[in-house]
Amino acid sequence: MLGPVGALRLTPALASQTSTTSLSQSGTTAGASFADALAKAASGSVDKLENAEALSVEALKGNADTRQVVDAVMSAQQTLQAAVAIRDKIVSAYLEISRMSI
Amino acid sequence: MDALTASLRIAASGLGAQSERLRVVSENLANAQSTGNFPGADPYRRKTVTFVSELDRISGGSLVDVSAIDRDPSAFRLEFEPGNIAADENGYVKLPNVNVLIEMADMTEANRSYEANLQVIRQARDLISMTIDLMRTS
Amino acid sequence: MEPVNLFDLAMRQSQWLAVRQTAIAGNVANVNTPGYLARDVEPFEKVLDRTGTVPGSTQPGHMGFGATEASFRTQAQEYNGAILPSKNTVVIENELMKAGEVRRAFEMNTAIVRAFHGMLLSVSKG
Repeated sequence: MLGPVGALRLTPALASQTSTTSLSQSGTTAGASFADALAKAASGSVDKLENAEALSVEALKGNADTRQVVDAVMSAQQTLQAAVAIRDKIVSAYLEISRMSI
Repeated sequence: MDALTASLRIAASGLGAQSERLRVVSENLANAQSTGNFPGADPYRRKTVTFVSELDRISGGSLVDVSAIDRDPSAFRLEFEPGNIAADENGYVKLPNVNVLIEMADMTEANRSYEANLQVIRQARDLISMTIDLMRTS
Repeated sequence: MEPVNLFDLAMRQSQWLAVRQTAIAGNVANVNTPGYLARDVEPFEKVLDRTGTVPGSTQPGHMGFGATEASFRTQAQEYNGAILPSKNTVVIENELMKAGEVRRAFEMNTAIVRAFHGMLLSVSKG
């Protein structure tokens, strides 16, 4: 029988990457692992976008499985939107820090 | 080829087979009274359709096809009609071995099977539409 | 047992439903074919129980569909009714009923996927 469906695991790519970020680490190691996690998230969404694009090209040529194309495109949408949200937060956090008086 | 497109293909082969069957039935009905045109001649002989299932290499499903259109070997009816061109020396005319009631029943069944295949096509088409609709942002 | 990714499960079910639709199409197309035995896919629960193993896509009796490599076993159904002289075991009413089940399950599947997709997008908005 199936175990409980983990709704929080809906985006395995993003969730697993951000969860491996150990924010409790201090100093430069924290910065490195966070940057790594961000880089992985960004490249993950690029990979999904490329995959979705490749499948869409095949679909336009008439060669692809409908459901696979749909799934790839939706997955790309999800990771892209999450990546964009993260990027926006980072940018606004950076701007806020840069405005801090010394 | 994905499975839903394959089922479209399969149902389309069903439509083709059933409409071939309907064509033969209507030919039988149209010629139910067709005699020969010289004394003692054979009349129209009833045609029958045989279906066979074929494995579709592309999709792995079972297509259907008409393997042969055969002639019904059963005997012709004889009717006493001395004035007819096709009457033999005793005045008997050979009439086609077509039974109108049987042909009508066959036609009804062919129609039913045709409708069922249409249903399958409609459903497969709808399922494909539903899948593509997932991508649509509402 | 590990929690299951919802979208992956929905994808698997939609593939199974599509294969079932194809089996139904084959049965309806062959409703008047002499000697044809009605076929159906194995139940979805059995497919899930098998997920540990790699699905073999080139065994006879598997309907495999190209890119997905998802193959499900189809087999001739047991038939308990009276056998026609033509040895055909397709009952159109049952096939249409199964088609209705497939349709309902498919609608539920796409509705669930759409709902969770929307939820995910709204989570990462703003």
